[in-house]
Amino acid sequence: MMRITFSSQYRDSSAAVERTSEALVESQRRVSSGKRIERISDDPTGAAAAVSERNAIAQVDQYTRTADNVNSRLNVVDTVLSDVIEKLTAAQSVATAGRGTTATAAQRTALSQELAGIRDALLDDMNTTLHGRYLFGGAAVTTKPYSATAPATVPSYAGSTAEAMADVGNDRSVTIAFNGRAITQGTDTQDLFQSLDALITAVSTGDNAAIGTGLAALGRAFDRATAAQTRVGTDMQVIDAQKVRLQQMKQSGTDRLSKLEDVNMAAAITDMQQADAAYKAALGAVGTVSRVSLMDYLK
Amino acid sequence: MGDLFSTLTSVSRALDAQRYGLDVAGQNIANVNTPGYARRTVDLIALAPEAPGTAGRGVDVVGVRALRDRLLETRLTNEMPAQSREAAMAEALSVVESALGKPGTSIDANLQKFFDSFAELSEMPTSASHRESVIIQGEGLAAAFSDMAGRLESARLDADRAARGTVDDINSLVERIAALNVSIGNASSRERSLHARDEQFDLVRQLSELVDVQVLDREEGGIDLSIGNGRSVVVGETAYKIQVSSTAPNGHAALSVNGANITSEIKSGRLGGFLQVRDSNIPDYMSRLDTLAYSVATEVNALHSAGFDQTGAAAGTFFTAPAAVAGAAKGMAVRPALAADSRLIAAGSTTDAGNNTTARAIAGLREATVLNGNTATLSDGWGQLVYRVGRDTKTATDERNSRQEIVRQIDALRDAVSGVSLDEEAMNLLKFQRAYEANARFFQVIDQTLEMLLQMSGR
Repeated sequence: MMRITFSSQYRDSSAAVERTSEALVESQRRVSSGKRIERISDDPTGAAAAVSERNAIAQVDQYTRTADNVNSRLNVVDTVLSDVIEKLTAAQSVATAGRGTTATAAQRTALSQELAGIRDALLDDMNTTLHGRYLFGGAAVTTKPYSATAPATVPSYAGSTAEAMADVGNDRSVTIAFNGRAITQGTDTQDLFQSLDALITAVSTGDNAAIGTGLAALGRAFDRATAAQTRVGTDMQVIDAQKVRLQQMKQSGTDRLSKLEDVNMAAAITDMQQADAAYKAALGAVGTVSRVSLMDYLK
Repeated sequence: MGDLFSTLTSVSRALDAQRYGLDVAGQNIANVNTPGYARRTVDLIALAPEAPGTAGRGVDVVGVRALRDRLLETRLTNEMPAQSREAAMAEALSVVESALGKPGTSIDANLQKFFDSFAELSEMPTSASHRESVIIQGEGLAAAFSDMAGRLESARLDADRAARGTVDDINSLVERIAALNVSIGNASSRERSLHARDEQFDLVRQLSELVDVQVLDREEGGIDLSIGNGRSVVVGETAYKIQVSSTAPNGHAALSVNGANITSEIKSGRLGGFLQVRDSNIPDYMSRLDTLAYSVATEVNALHSAGFDQTGAAAGTFFTAPAAVAGAAKGMAVRPALAADSRLIAAGSTTDAGNNTTARAIAGLREATVLNGNTATLSDGWGQLVYRVGRDTKTATDERNSRQEIVRQIDALRDAVSGVSLDEEAMNLLKFQRAYEANARFFQVIDQTLEMLLQMSGR
């Protein structure tokens, strides 16, 4: 049998009050902040895992932003390439009209002038800028790809043949700066503008053989432009598919983070009510501890 | 043959004894809340008869005893240091924990923004605003590391300051204990030294909260104390105080007793807890932070220096190259020349204005496993530091709570032996009061008998 002394009664009940009030404060904090992990020591493993999840979510967010920005750029490129293809087709029909023996000299002059106009339009297309940067100069985005120094002077490609890519996912990148030379010249010995200049001369003089060569060159340029547009189209599809994936990844990352950090509100409120009841009970117990002692009974 | 007069003497001695009993009960009641008090009890013996024809010479007070259990008191002084060490560690480490910042707002957030800025730069390497943004995020990251290192250092200083304060408390307790040894030694009887022993026990208990102390009982009734590896701090009436000296390079306290350095010998008590946090836990965190900062700076610099800046020249480093791993966090900074001129940022691996290979590579560091023998990313490194601090804090808190329970139980056991129960003392009051009344009554009876005797012979 153990003796119960004056101080041991108070010590035990004050310990109970301390414990229950600490539990109550903690459960109140969880309900009001909605977070399981307020301090790292609440769940060290969870806190470390949350750091990892945040890193992954930040990466996904960045890829999404890049994908959006690049998409608008590719739209512009696509539009320009459509125009290029249209112009090349027009040039082909003009040149064909100049072939044969039916055209007059005046007609030839008109056709060659039309071709010159198409050539200048194509020059402008290849020099397209977006936000002050050239789209078809390869990685040399501040260098004008084709600077014509005088009319009818053949400008040579001043840009870079190296392209630039942007990352829209792990191991998923799309081209954002295009090598113009691959479109205008590719594997030909002359580039498109040189061929066009020769064609203009051929049409005005009626040199059918030269017109034939020029048409062939235009045909090859048409193929190259179409191939480039297909590539851009594919990249845009990649971006669309990637954005869907990124969205899903973000959702599942956010869910996992929430599981780690957020509290189950229903359970937390129940805990808080229980902690409150326990606290009140401990306080009540203190009250009953020394209500009566032998001193009350001694006369 | 006995006589009535000697009976009177024994009655007066009996009254005295019962009054003594009341006194002791009163003393116990008065000291019910005195810390360290052990309840007194009075020892009475019956006196044997001297002359034939008498029953005895009444009662005598042998002495007053304090009821103590040496075993329990020793257990208490053994358990308290461990509990208070964990409590001190939990206190000091929760400061460090809050210094690390809330999840998602600290160095990990700065790292994300830094990598984001390079990814954005890769979309448009010639954009001046994107370049400025890279510098801002780089400076933000460097400042975050530097601030964090500073906060860890000041947490260390806080622990040091707390340790110094504890040493002051220890020294004053040790002096008082030595002074009590003197008064216990000088006491003419054991009874007179009881209150001094009570006080001494309480002081030893307070001391054992501060440092793990070994207690040796002295023959004449006092105690000798030693700490660490048997370094004496109290021998009889002499107290050897702990000396504190500040050591280079950061002015931390080194402790010595009688010229011997005991800093590494203190393992427990609040002092032990603060010293452990100062000398073991926080340096560990600081070196992990330094390793992380060093890796960030070195990896970024390696990629950056291989590229070309906007002026067409081969690029220098992005961050000022850290001299060594130690101190890398505190000294982390964007290279001043680069911070002043955003053209010096290398976005590409060639001199082409739009080449973004370097920027993409640096942005790709976010997911690159460059730490721990190529198994962990940079943000994992941060996560590991976070885990360590959290786990150390949680362990200290849990240990403190469980040891608190043990101490409470030992306290309860000690109380069962030495504590004052008001109900019991009330019964003692009753007991001695009634005994006093009965003895006084007996005195009256003897008195009347004597009077009758005197009347008989007086005629």
